[in-house]
Amino acid sequence: MLFHSKFLPFTFVVAAFSTGSTIWAQVPENTDTIIVEEDYSLYDNVEYTEEGARRFCSPKIEGLSPAKLISIGYDYQMGYNMSADTLNSIQTSPGGGFNLNAQDAQLLSSHGMRIGFNIPVIAKTNLVWQLGGNYWEQRYNFADPASLENPMLKTLSAYGLKTAGISTTLFKPLNDKYFLLFQGSADYSGNYTLKDMMPLNYLKYSAALIYGKRPSELKQWGVGLARTYRVGEINYIPVVLYNSTDTQNKWGTEILFPARAHVRRTINSRNMLFAGYELEGQSYRMWNTSSVDAYQMRDDELEIRRGEIRLRMVYEFSLKEFIWMSIQAGYRINYRFDMDRLMNGEENYRAFGLIDDQPEYVMINNLTNPLYFNISINLVSP
Amino acid sequence: MKKLSFILVFSFIATLFWSFAPTNTGGDRLIGVWEPSNGRARVKIEKIGAKYYGKIVWIKEPIDPVTKKPKTDKNNPDPDLQKVPLMGYRMLKDFTYKGNDEWADGTIYDALNGSTYSCVIKMTNENTLNIRGYIGVSVLGRTDVWKRLVVKK
Repeated sequence: MLFHSKFLPFTFVVAAFSTGSTIWAQVPENTDTIIVEEDYSLYDNVEYTEEGARRFCSPKIEGLSPAKLISIGYDYQMGYNMSADTLNSIQTSPGGGFNLNAQDAQLLSSHGMRIGFNIPVIAKTNLVWQLGGNYWEQRYNFADPASLENPMLKTLSAYGLKTAGISTTLFKPLNDKYFLLFQGSADYSGNYTLKDMMPLNYLKYSAALIYGKRPSELKQWGVGLARTYRVGEINYIPVVLYNSTDTQNKWGTEILFPARAHVRRTINSRNMLFAGYELEGQSYRMWNTSSVDAYQMRDDELEIRRGEIRLRMVYEFSLKEFIWMSIQAGYRINYRFDMDRLMNGEENYRAFGLIDDQPEYVMINNLTNPLYFNISINLVSP
Repeated sequence: MKKLSFILVFSFIATLFWSFAPTNTGGDRLIGVWEPSNGRARVKIEKIGAKYYGKIVWIKEPIDPVTKKPKTDKNNPDPDLQKVPLMGYRMLKDFTYKGNDEWADGTIYDALNGSTYSCVIKMTNENTLNIRGYIGVSVLGRTDVWKRLVVKK
């Protein structure tokens, strides 16, 4: 059978090679396709030469967007209003004689670099282990920084917020259908600067464990439990993984609920559109001093619980081979930007108020919701 | 006796030369039919000249659900190649044996995304290959374990 007329000049007989003969020295110009008649049904009925050989499921499914090994990006939120509350429980805070009035302030923008990597350390059939790291910063560009009096607004204007973290991911296939997925991370978040770093005991630890099934090349799902700071404060929540691709490889889903959920439209294997949301957040230690000496914001009991929902459209495409670009546009919806006091460093676990809504936040802040954009360039995984 | 000594010495020297002569017989152990870990395809590795190539000879789901015809290389970035059948496609190319159970300088093609990666093959035993595809440097890659198959009689 002739597969493609383009290769007709390069037709040769496969059987001649299968003997391993070194007499054949001519290499065809195009070695992509064998243009010979061969009885492929011969390979329908085979067996392992090795006893006990096992098949394992892959961590990916067909049509899934490529994993990012290295990512360098920039995040930009358009102008919005921030209403900073007065600081409650002031009797337990240090210092005195400073302006604690609530204040509304207009931001022209908030923006920052986002750099990350996720490198496979072990990438074998029966185990995939990756190590990653990231550095995200958020700078707050106030319309009139000189007018700021509220200490939280002042420290945000002077230092912004930063997160630096390390992460590890383990994918352990149990057989050709079932797998375990573990992800753990330690994040160092606050208003610190490189010259004035916080102690490492302020690290925040997150983890998730998922038990999943990959019933076909087009679907994988799983259920599990996560410890997360995605909405700002510590929570223990169930998680659901659901990745799928339709048989035409045009539509699919990439879901890790509730952290993120996207519908994927595949234009081709190197151009993909997504629509969905991501929950984003972290707990930021108020470590650094304000730029103005009126109030020392360094208070190792105070943390900003930042949680936001990003409704978005994402376009990802290959610039060249393994270099992909990602462009996001969406709406940033504030879920929480409140200040919490961690007495003696202990976490306040409220379970969304279901178990305990005490203690109250020491500052209840409000943010209006702007449009946002994010652009990144990425080296993607094989 | 002299003749016998000559024959013995000649045989000894010939044996030495034979033993140390550069041969590629070790590399030919790569030849055969292999299955990637996902069991989705079977690949026949052959030798062409001094190099090794692997072509797809079996696909678990050979029919494209959209066209109802045999699957083609539809994700290939070259539009001219998107109609080439996957069956028979050379996904491993240009490997040379480097000794020490390793074949290198080759590439592996992933038909799922139309990408070609640098690749090195390591034989861990006669029936097992570690196939590592990578981008630029080996650390940016992924290893798959392939098992040797024999055709049932």
